[in-house]
This record gives sequence, structure tokens and C-alpha cells, in this order.
Amino acid sequence: MHYDTRRGIEAPLGPTPQGAPLKTPAVKTVALLGDDYPNVVFDLRVKEGDAVRAGQTLCVDRRRPEICFAAAASGHVSQIKLGPRRRLEMLEITGAGDDAVNFAKGDLRKLLLKAGAWPSFRTRPFGLIPDPTATPAAIFVTTTKSTPQALDPHVVLTTETVDFERGVAALLQLTTCPVFVCQRKGAPLSPPRDRLKIATFSGPYPSGNAGPQIHRLMPVSRQRMVWDIGYQDVVAIGHLLATAQIKTTRSVSVSGAKMAEVAIVPLGAKLSEVVGGMDHFDPDNLLSGSRLTGQKCDYLARRDLQISALETDSAGGSFWHRILDALPAAPTGATLPTEAFERAFPFAILPVPLMRALAVGDVETAERLGCLELIEEDMAPLTRLCPSGCDYGQLLRHTLNLILSEGVA
Amino acid sequence: MMKSAPLHWDAHRMSAATFVALLLPVIATVILRGPEMFAPVAIGLSLGLLWSFVFSVLRKSTVQWHSLISALIFVVLLPVATPVWQLVISLSFGLVFGDLIFGVRGRGFLNAAVVGLAFLLFSFPAIEPDSGAPQVAIVAGLGGALLLAYGVLSWRIVAAFGLCIAVLVPFLPASADLQNLQSATVILGLVFLIGDPVAGASTHLGRWLYGALAGALVILLGQAGVGLGSLSSVVFAALLVSIFAPLLDQIAVYANVRRRAKRQRYEP
Repeated sequence: MHYDTRRGIEAPLGPTPQGAPLKTPAVKTVALLGDDYPNVVFDLRVKEGDAVRAGQTLCVDRRRPEICFAAAASGHVSQIKLGPRRRLEMLEITGAGDDAVNFAKGDLRKLLLKAGAWPSFRTRPFGLIPDPTATPAAIFVTTTKSTPQALDPHVVLTTETVDFERGVAALLQLTTCPVFVCQRKGAPLSPPRDRLKIATFSGPYPSGNAGPQIHRLMPVSRQRMVWDIGYQDVVAIGHLLATAQIKTTRSVSVSGAKMAEVAIVPLGAKLSEVVGGMDHFDPDNLLSGSRLTGQKCDYLARRDLQISALETDSAGGSFWHRILDALPAAPTGATLPTEAFERAFPFAILPVPLMRALAVGDVETAERLGCLELIEEDMAPLTRLCPSGCDYGQLLRHTLNLILSEGVA
Repeated sequence: MMKSAPLHWDAHRMSAATFVALLLPVIATVILRGPEMFAPVAIGLSLGLLWSFVFSVLRKSTVQWHSLISALIFVVLLPVATPVWQLVISLSFGLVFGDLIFGVRGRGFLNAAVVGLAFLLFSFPAIEPDSGAPQVAIVAGLGGALLLAYGVLSWRIVAAFGLCIAVLVPFLPASADLQNLQSATVILGLVFLIGDPVAGASTHLGRWLYGALAGALVILLGQAGVGLGSLSSVVFAALLVSIFAPLLDQIAVYANVRRRAKRQRYEP
């Protein structure tokens, strides 16, 4: 089945990275970021200064201790930073070496939980790590390019076909539910069979994200929960099953207005070390994610496969664009409800009423309008376009937490 | 599909775009009516500045430049023979109670020029409005095209307005003067009063209903009142339809909730 949408933000950001040449920058510092896992309370299993091996458990979820978070590199724990309410903000590992934990094969679920692969799954509604014993209504593998300068998953997967196939087979084995591989038009990335279904998508950002795809194929609700997982995480599961060691690296695009490179970096890599050997990139002005919606951060976030150079946005080059850019910035205030929001939002959900409900904290209306189908990343286009300066991702997380705290039927 | 990066619309930018679109109609009106327009334009702009400054001081916030644009729209649509004191009172009422009192632009639900003009027409019914020169209608149309291209003015509102009028025209009595429906007053009213995004509906279905209701009200109030395309019919249609806009959005919300509930049952 093919789904095409014209809704989204189509912005000429710069060159698209080609598959080659691959760069492998020497990254010595990686970090586990607490913000990548909303609502998780971490129980630390290591102290500052401890030596760790790749794959070793760094911390577990306090409420569900079966869920482990694994070290993405071997070395020693150089820094542990606690944030508000002593929640883990950042755990930094420095060092090198390829000392890795070998996991015993056995029950698939237990292996994924122990090896730190479980947090690659994300539930929808709520966007959290699924319960270790839960069964979803479907699993979605996102194999589409989300932003203009992201890597083309089809190119990345050409060298990883075997591991991807093994990973998909593991997903089928994990549950009895259908598994959807969402990809662009072309040859199926995995041969469709009984419970494995292929759906193709095309359109501008953010139609390559999991949100719009799940919204099209299987809208979620209080009664129906699905999981989604990124394509490189599926490859990592395949690699884990083949070698009994975790795959610590990901292919990411490193891009700016004039340059685009492909690099293989460890999970949670320190961004300034990634661009250390590359010209044209200022190590102090980097985003984890795309230039449209990325976060200013020192480390690569768990689900981001893109590093962008933060530059003054000269993308809109027309005369009127420049005149308007020269105006002083208006004070932040209320939403001006133009059609731009609908044009950038590829959901059958009404953006302006939802934005208003979230901004005033009206949980019931937000749920009626469909906020359960969304997570933070889906709100990024609206946050970018809205003149009010509200972060709708944060507002949505707050609303989702209120719904969770009232108990889900 | 958009070719370039979508503009980040903040209040200043939207006011600037509306100002550019409004510039031609203002110049055309001043040229056609001659020196007697100088005083109203000067007074209108000063009042706009004054009230913005008063509210920025009272609220300890930055000045809202949009009041100047509201004042200009008000002056362009103002009947020629309006005494100065009536202009001052009604424009002040419109700026303060139509816009500034709500806080930042976007928190209110009315257009300041509409409120001011409605106040004027209601309080001083003896005034004889004229329907404006055809040249002004043409340049107002150009301004509207610019706002449409920028996405500030919703094409759905304009299309629904036009369609509704086209459907209703055959039901009008033969004596009705249809030329008046293309007058400067109607075009200016559609582009700058009815099409104001803050006063309008904020969903696609809501915008269709909003435009259609506005067209129907312009015909109804015009036919029942002073005449088709008269200033009072346009102003009161704009006022009524902005009051109805939240209700129209609620209809769109109900339709959307029903549609999504149906999709929830769908299994691929």
C-alpha cells in the first residue's frame, strides 16, 4: 500500500549526504542522556570512576528493573550528572578499547532487556519504553527518511541486509502481532510474508517519522497500543543475535548549509568530537537532529541519526523573506491561526484547537482532539511555526503524564 | 507545495505583510479623495500610536504596531463626511475594546476596525457612506492577492465567500444592483475585515463555513438594509461572523472527532 502526503515542511536545507565516503571519527566520549527516556526513574548500577565494558548495564528503570540501559562504549565512567529531583541527567563514559560483554543466548525478550536493546522500542500512545511483558497491537519499523538531510535508509541498509533481516525475524518472533516495515517506494526491504507487511510512504518532513505512518495505518487509542522502532535499532538487534555482542555504532549524517557527510559514530557520541576532523563545522554550534527541529545538545540523542551545524537560516532567499527577516522579533504571545499549521501537520488532527487545548492545559479536550496519537517529535513542526513561543512538545508531555496519572483503562 | 522555507509568522511580520497589502488602497483613496483625506489618516495613525503606547506602558510590554494597521483600514472605509470627534470616539472604542484590551494580538476574537466601524454606524446612523471608487477595489484586490500568496489570508475563506454569493445572487430581486457587490467596500471588507486570521475560524472546515456565512450575511444585511454592498452590511456581517467563528470551529471539531472515531475501528 502506498501513502502520499503533501502536508509538511519542505525546506531547502542544503546538500543531501551521499552514501560515501564514510567517515569514522575518533570519538572517545559517549553519554547516556536521561531526557531521551521520558518518565524513567533511573537506578544507577555504576559509580563515577568505574571501568565499564560495552554492553554492561549502567542503570535500570526503578519501576521495571528488568529494563537495562547499556554502555555504548568501553572505558570508565567519567561523569554522572544529576538533574532536578536527583534524576539522572547525563552519564558520561570516556575511554577506548573494544572490550564488550558477551550475552548468553536464550529467551529473546530476556536477551533484549539485558542487552539494553529494549529501550529502542517506543510505545504509542505516550512515547515510553514498553513494559517487559506487554504485547502490542503492532510493531512499526520506521525505514523512511525523515528530514531533507537525513541519510537514505535504503542506502544504509544495502550493507546491513543480513542483520536487518535477522532483526525483523526477531521482531516477528517476539510477539504474535503484525510487523509493519514503512519504507519509500521501491523493492521491499524485507520480503513480505504472513505477519510482515510493507507500507510505502512519500512526502516532505515529517511524513517520514513514525507518527504520521502509525496514524495512517493503525490509529492508536487507550485501547490499542503499538510500538515503533528505528531501522538501525532493528539492525542492532540482528547484530546482537548473530554475535552475542551489542552494536554500539550508528550511521548518521553530519550536515550544514553547504556540506553533508556520513559518519559512523557510537550511540550518544559527543558532537564536538564527531566533527573534530571535519572542516566547515563549528564544534560549538551543533544540533542533535535536523536543522528544522534539532535540539542544542552536547551529545547525540538516542533516536537521532543526524547531526546539524547550527547556522543563521538564510534558506528563504527571496526579497520579501529578507525584508521580513530584518524586522525586529515580536514579543511572544498568542497563536495567529493561519493555514500554515494545517499545511505542516500530516495528521487528520486539527492543529490549532489542539495547540490551544495544550496551551491552556485542557486535558479532556486535548484527548478528544487526538493527543494520544502524538508524541513530542510530532509537535516539532507546530512549535517551529507558532509565534507564541510555546514548546508544544513539552506541553504535550505534560498532558500525556496527566492522562497517565489518572490511570489508563 | 511550498518551494522555499515556510515563513515564521510572528505578530510583527504578519502586521508588516498586511501593511504592504494595505498601502496601495490607502494611497489610491488619498489620491482620489484629495486633501480631505489627510486629516483622517493623520488622526487615525496618531490614535493608533497613542493607544498602543498607553497599553504598552500600562502592561509594561512592547508596543503593538498592529493598531496602526487597524486605524488605516478604519480610515479607508470611513464615510467621507464623518466629523472628527465621531472618528476619534469610534476608532478609540474599536482599538481599545476590539483588540488592545485582550492583551497580545491573537488573544482577542474581533478585528479592531470592525468594532470601531460598527460603533460608528450604530451610534451615528445619519452618516451616508459611499461605496468607494472602482480603482480602490482593484488595488484592494491586488493587496488581497499578496496576502493570499503569503498565506495570511485563507483562500478557503475567499472561495467560500465568493461561492456563497454566486449561489445567492439568482435569488435576489431583479431590481438589485449587482455592481455594488464588486465595490471597494466589499473587497476591502473581505480582505482586511472578514479575512483577518485572528477574527476568523481556525480549522479548514470552519474556514469554509466562515466564508460562506460571511457571504450570506453580506447579501442578507445588504438586501434588508441600506443596499447591497453597503458599508453597514459588510461591517455587521464581519462582526457577526467573527462572533460565530468559535461555534463554526466547534462544528469542525465534532466532525473531526467522529471521523477519527471511525478510523479507530479500522484494521489494515
